Amino acid sequence: MSVYETDVPGVGRKFELELRGGARVVVVVHHDGRCELYYRENDESDGRKILDLTSDEANKLGSILEGAYFESVDLDALTVPLGDAIIEWVDVPSDSPLVGTALGESGVRSETGVSVIAIQRDGETVSNPDPGFEVEAGDLLVAIGTREEQTALRNLVEGN
Amino acid sequence: MAGTLLLEVGVMFAAIAGVGFLTARFELSPIPFYIGVGMLANEFVVGRLGLPYVTETAFVTVGAELGIVFLLFFLGLEFNLDRLLADRAHIGKAGAVDFGVNFGVGLVVGYLAFGAVIPAVLVAGIVYVSSSAVITKTLLDLGWIANPESTPMLGTLVFEDLVIAVYLAVVSAVVVGEGSLGATARSVGVAMGFILLLALLVYFGTALFERLLRTSSTEYFILRAVGVTVLLAGAALAVGVSEAVAAFFVGMAFSSTSAVHDLEVALSPLRDTFAAVFFFWIGLVTDPLSLFGVVGLLAVAVAVTTPTKLLTGFYGGRVYDLDARRSLRVGLGMVTRGEFSLIIGAVALAGAGATLTSTTAQRIYAFAVGYVLVMSILGTVLMQFAPHIESLLVRE
Repeated sequence: MSVYETDVPGVGRKFELELRGGARVVVVVHHDGRCELYYRENDESDGRKILDLTSDEANKLGSILEGAYFESVDLDALTVPLGDAIIEWVDVPSDSPLVGTALGESGVRSETGVSVIAIQRDGETVSNPDPGFEVEAGDLLVAIGTREEQTALRNLVEGN
Repeated sequence: MAGTLLLEVGVMFAAIAGVGFLTARFELSPIPFYIGVGMLANEFVVGRLGLPYVTETAFVTVGAELGIVFLLFFLGLEFNLDRLLADRAHIGKAGAVDFGVNFGVGLVVGYLAFGAVIPAVLVAGIVYVSSSAVITKTLLDLGWIANPESTPMLGTLVFEDLVIAVYLAVVSAVVVGEGSLGATARSVGVAMGFILLLALLVYFGTALFERLLRTSSTEYFILRAVGVTVLLAGAALAVGVSEAVAAFFVGMAFSSTSAVHDLEVALSPLRDTFAAVFFFWIGLVTDPLSLFGVVGLLAVAVAVTTPTKLLTGFYGGRVYDLDARRSLRVGLGMVTRGEFSLIIGAVALAGAGATLTSTTAQRIYAFAVGYVLVMSILGTVLMQFAPHIESLLVRE
């Protein structure tokens, strides 16, 4: 897969990417960041303009293609509705006193104060598990609560 | 203060903006329209009708001068010596044939029309050099930039740029000189000396220019770049050397610094503004009636140099192993002449009364204007209709 790069005086730079089967993608990047994309089916055919992007759009598209795109999370928006509470994931080891007990009888809620909002088991997620749900070794408890409550939960699960 | 001067400048910019708006709608090159509106607003057209007209004030003249300086500055800034060297076998062949045929034909046409060498050389330059600005823009507008034909076109333009820088240096020294052989030799010597100095500056001055532009303020950055460029161009002109060539070298000096991209972004609005003033000025000092005086020469030049450019362009495409259809496109694309032909016309005008008689200078100038008006429109139209022309001329 070769990329040819040339200067276009007064405009910017031109990149030509050879695709499988002989098609080519031509990208013209202007000095001001504007980006034009052309597609050529084969050597004989003429370029067809497929996109004309602003600098911002081109950057975003580029990061998506690169797999590096993520929507930045607004931390303030996330913490406000939860107040002091945080969400944590707690592993249930095989020697945990919780193994084999129903969630409602395990004392998770009454002793530590957290709410278990989901349980992940073998890649499946059971959200809002009811009090009769029986905890097994290897489960992953998703619990919401304050920092102290989360510490208490970890202690309970690990049998400390 | 300036009285109506500001109003005149306002009328000029508004007129330029107005025709720019029109050409954007019809997808044509704006250059002939800037010239046209300048011609319309001058003393020979609206002035003859007894209406208020735009005079050739010092502002317009200097603005046009700045347009030349910035056009050539950018040419130098984006001049790609590496590309020329890396691709020298192709570019050299295509460029040499382009120069030999078109400049040669121009010499013959010019000599037949004026019967003297210097006017012939000026005419040859005018018909030889294609318009980098218009051709590059049309390449983008039509999407040819993505196709193989753009490579020989851009390569040939780089060759022409270099030739025209040398040409302008010599010719402007000769034309503005005293006329006697000794004086001409002296002014050419001064020009060459000055250019040698500038070339040394390009070669050794990178660190200096780099330091000069090191500032986090856009304002200071632009002012320093403009200060250096206009100062050196002005100094060149003051000692009788082409300001255009000086600006070209200053641009080249900046091109090896890390600030190239920032310069392009920061200064292109200046270039666009003053280049438009330059084209407007070209129209402003042209009496449309003077075009009738050169109409015969114009007809001959257009009839001869359109096919020669087509052929040399076609050959250029062949040098790059393109098929007949694409090679024909290269030819069609190279037909457009523009800013450099006009700069040569302005050089002729500057030589009026020195090496050239005033009438000859005026005629050459009128020829340059008329020729560019025709060729810039013809060239863009040929490019737009290329698919039809191809299907007529090239059998699949």
